[in-house]
Amino acid sequence: MTEDIELTLTATPGPAAVATVTGEVDLHTAPGLRTRALELIDQGHHHLILDLSGVGFCDSAGLSALIGIWHGAQEAGGSLALAAIPDRLMRMLTLTGVDSLLPHYASTADALSAHQGAPDAA
Amino acid sequence: MPEQASASEEGATDKRLHLVPDEVVEVGRMEAVRRYDILDTPPDGAFDRVAALAARLFDVPVATVTIVDEDRIWFKAAHGLDGVSEIGRDPGLCGSAVLRDDALVIPDTLLDDVACANPLVTGPLGVRFYAAAPITTTDGHKLGTVNVLDTKARSITSEQTATLTDLAAIVLDEMELRLSALRTVRQEQRAAEAERAAREQAERDKAAIASFASTLQRTLLPPALPTVPGLELACHYHTASVHDVGGDFYDVFPLPAGKWGLFLGDVCGKGAEAATITSLARYTLRASAQHTDDPVAVLEALNSALLADVWAGSRFCTAFFAILTPDAAGGFTVELATGGHPPAYHLSPAPPEAGPATHTRVKAVSPKGGMLIGAFPGACFASTTLHLAEGQALLLYTDGLTEARVSTDAMLGDEGLTGFLTARPASCGAAQLVQDTVGLLDALPEGASDDVALLALSVPAPDQAAAATGAEFTAHTTAAPVGEEH
Repeated sequence: MTEDIELTLTATPGPAAVATVTGEVDLHTAPGLRTRALELIDQGHHHLILDLSGVGFCDSAGLSALIGIWHGAQEAGGSLALAAIPDRLMRMLTLTGVDSLLPHYASTADALSAHQGAPDAA
Repeated sequence: MPEQASASEEGATDKRLHLVPDEVVEVGRMEAVRRYDILDTPPDGAFDRVAALAARLFDVPVATVTIVDEDRIWFKAAHGLDGVSEIGRDPGLCGSAVLRDDALVIPDTLLDDVACANPLVTGPLGVRFYAAAPITTTDGHKLGTVNVLDTKARSITSEQTATLTDLAAIVLDEMELRLSALRTVRQEQRAAEAERAAREQAERDKAAIASFASTLQRTLLPPALPTVPGLELACHYHTASVHDVGGDFYDVFPLPAGKWGLFLGDVCGKGAEAATITSLARYTLRASAQHTDDPVAVLEALNSALLADVWAGSRFCTAFFAILTPDAAGGFTVELATGGHPPAYHLSPAPPEAGPATHTRVKAVSPKGGMLIGAFPGACFASTTLHLAEGQALLLYTDGLTEARVSTDAMLGDEGLTGFLTARPASCGAAQLVQDTVGLLDALPEGASDDVALLALSVPAPDQAAAATGAEFTAHTTAAPVGEEH
């Protein structure tokens, strides 16, 4: 069992950034995820796309972190999009209605093309 | 040829110097005696052997190991001197020997100016020969003496005097060992005492914290559900840990015009922070329900209140809020709004065509589009209206129920809960429903790992209602006190 969570910046096209989350997001790791993602936003990556394909487990603490990151992106005038969301997290996002606020895509490629097509991407 | 020991060669004046102890020396000496903590201890084999050895080596009838107290000479070991445990500190023999740095040898006590008056000489023992070596500590204090006595006058060689001094050194070694063991034992006792005190303190702290969490939990839970005419109500609260104040909450309370407000929710997170949200949620829901008939508006008010709080956007909850209106024809109209909460279940007796294994028709109540409360400004909430008819029940719960593990890698889930409810007999009331659901949790290998709140309401058939009116209903309340579960 790992207590670590990794957030790796994998692509930075323009103001957008794709970061891959790897590990389990729970009460212990969620604050770290939130902090690191907010750092990326602070560094100018206002439009953050999180690739969640490497997330094995995510509970309400993870949901809480995602909402915190969403708030951070909003304040910076940016956005948060999610890609490759694991089933359980997707159910949680749907149940809590968060899916209506956070754009979500099957893959980071889909997320990037949707973002580049968006009017605020220029 | 035997030699006379130095003492016998000393002049009378020199001897007088050793009659009265020097005050300063005596204070230090007594401190040392007390340090070894040997006075009045029971006989000890090592010291007895030294005395016996001395008697044999010197071929004398009496040999002793003495420790000199302030006003007495106490015998740690006495060979050939049965029944004597101490004597006075008279000068001449031991009393003088302990004041000297070297051995004292008196070949004939009758010829010694001072010793001749000593009670051991003048008394029934009639000591004629006396030799003693002081037991001297490494810092120079003389604790007592090793003595050899005879009833005949005799002389000893300087080698024998040296042997006596060696025996005194052996006694000191023995006392050092004993002191070191004593110190170790005392240290261990002190350490054990400190450890015990620390453990007791930790247990007291733990109990105080648990008691605090328990008290806090009690204030966050309604003490009992109210009596709602025509409705059977039951609830249950299971806390996974007595140390973590849970974030589950529920309540049923009266509204104007004979209506009732009801809510059940779950704050994301645990501990004191979650508890403050639980508290805020409870009072905001109760207060805002007094001003509107729309349960969605009540949840919107809670959303605003949570976002106005210092934790804006980082602390949120899911909840159901319902307004119950009694119908003239029996049963209740339930207008139910959700903010991201797992589905409630509306239970009614299954029609016969549903098959023998299906006793209860289970309908998920999950208005689409209800969002987390307190996470987003302008969040949307959704509601639905249902009729709770006679013989029907409604079950609300927090996700600790559906997330309880049925095996190491599977949770009960919505499917498991639905299956359980479907197989239950439909005719039971709210109390039985809650009791059975708690039974389901208890039967799981690990029980519930998170907090679980259950709130059930049912409309009894008219004959049951007649039999169970008023306070009888609240008797079904099964809110478990903290720590009773497991």
